[in-house]
Amino acid sequence: MLVFSLIGVALLIGLARLLGFARRGGLVDAGLAERLAVDALPGFRPCDVAVSRDGAGALVAGRDGRVALVRPLGDRFVVRPLAHPLVARAGAVLRVRPDEMMFPETALDLGEGAASLWAARL
Amino acid sequence: MIDQLVTIDPVAIAIPAFVALIIIELLAVRLGWHGDYDWRDTGTSLVMGLGSTIAGAVVGGAVAGIAIFVWQHRLFDVPLTWWSLALCFVLDDLGYYVFHRSAHRVRWFWASHVIHHSSQHYNLSTALRQTWTGAFSLGFIFRLPLLLIGFPPALVIFCGGVNLIYQFWIHTELVGRMPRWFEAVMNTPSHHRAHHGTNPRYLDRNFAGVFIIWDRMFGTFEAERADDPPRYGIIRNLATFNPLWVAVHEWLGIARDLAGARSLKAAWAAIAAPPGTLSGETADMLRASWQADAGVAAPTRNQAGAAVPAE
Repeated sequence: MLVFSLIGVALLIGLARLLGFARRGGLVDAGLAERLAVDALPGFRPCDVAVSRDGAGALVAGRDGRVALVRPLGDRFVVRPLAHPLVARAGAVLRVRPDEMMFPETALDLGEGAASLWAARL
Repeated sequence: MIDQLVTIDPVAIAIPAFVALIIIELLAVRLGWHGDYDWRDTGTSLVMGLGSTIAGAVVGGAVAGIAIFVWQHRLFDVPLTWWSLALCFVLDDLGYYVFHRSAHRVRWFWASHVIHHSSQHYNLSTALRQTWTGAFSLGFIFRLPLLLIGFPPALVIFCGGVNLIYQFWIHTELVGRMPRWFEAVMNTPSHHRAHHGTNPRYLDRNFAGVFIIWDRMFGTFEAERADDPPRYGIIRNLATFNPLWVAVHEWLGIARDLAGARSLKAAWAAIAAPPGTLSGETADMLRASWQADAGVAAPTRNQAGAAVPAE
């Protein structure tokens, strides 16, 4: 019975993929990053945003000093306010990881100047 | 007749229909009907559903033992008849409403129920995204009163199964609105889409299983609005499709907050307060913040039913 169930699950997953439900949510639009942060964080008023050049994510600063990380997950996105994140910069790339289990590191290609600026901000 | 009927496992019979309907929904969405899928999200939902079935089988004997023990101390002898079947179904659905409301208002129960809400999609596969820790969270206690009254265990289990089957089809965006009379009495895709919404307006609303009348009666009804389409998921959407993390993340959150608690009050809040209490993000707080920001007045019970139609 368990084997049939496993086969059924695999077939449905395969069918979903075969039918093209396999989009990747790229984040290249600053306006979208701001809207996602506003939707996810009540009271959040964005005042600045930096979007990774490869669509890997974005940082959105709020007027209240909070900074939110927005990153794709499948064809959707996840948003986290960054409190005590792990931050590392290597040239133009800023690596950010919220202080949360199972939240993957996000490598943001922001350009050297912006990466430096946002690293100081975090 | 009834005694034969209640020996049937309706969920087992329905599983092929579940699979067929998911395939139909996948094809319909592919052809342009309203809705969306992501194979990774669907995979997580289906694995959670399979795991939930396995977990249920593992602990089913113990739960059945508790159920029979309670029934042996019943207050009345309720016969197996058509009227007792109907009465049991309605009372079981009321019990489901109480369970479901508790599952959103008490973090201990939420730690188990959050799994079902952890998808950012809303489709028939989401219906199968079920907990692995339902028995651990003691969710079954909400069905014990029926046994204590005297409804036979087989009847209670049968009604619970039918209730579960009903709730499958309402997890879809393919269906807009049902006829007005149906929307007034029954839980529908529209009502349940609102329930899965993280928009402040929809938080902790529409707890119904089969009959939406319980929400209308107890002041927790919120109609889906076209000008505020539901954003599905949870307040802090998970950053992974890993089923194991989906299954245990809130339990680990409770453990972390318990370990950091500096008082009994804080420990109690970590376990039994509404989800989000410690971070200042309960449904009530978020709704109040949104209402203050948007200048929205708290809806009265009458206004809650007078929303803009979704379609």
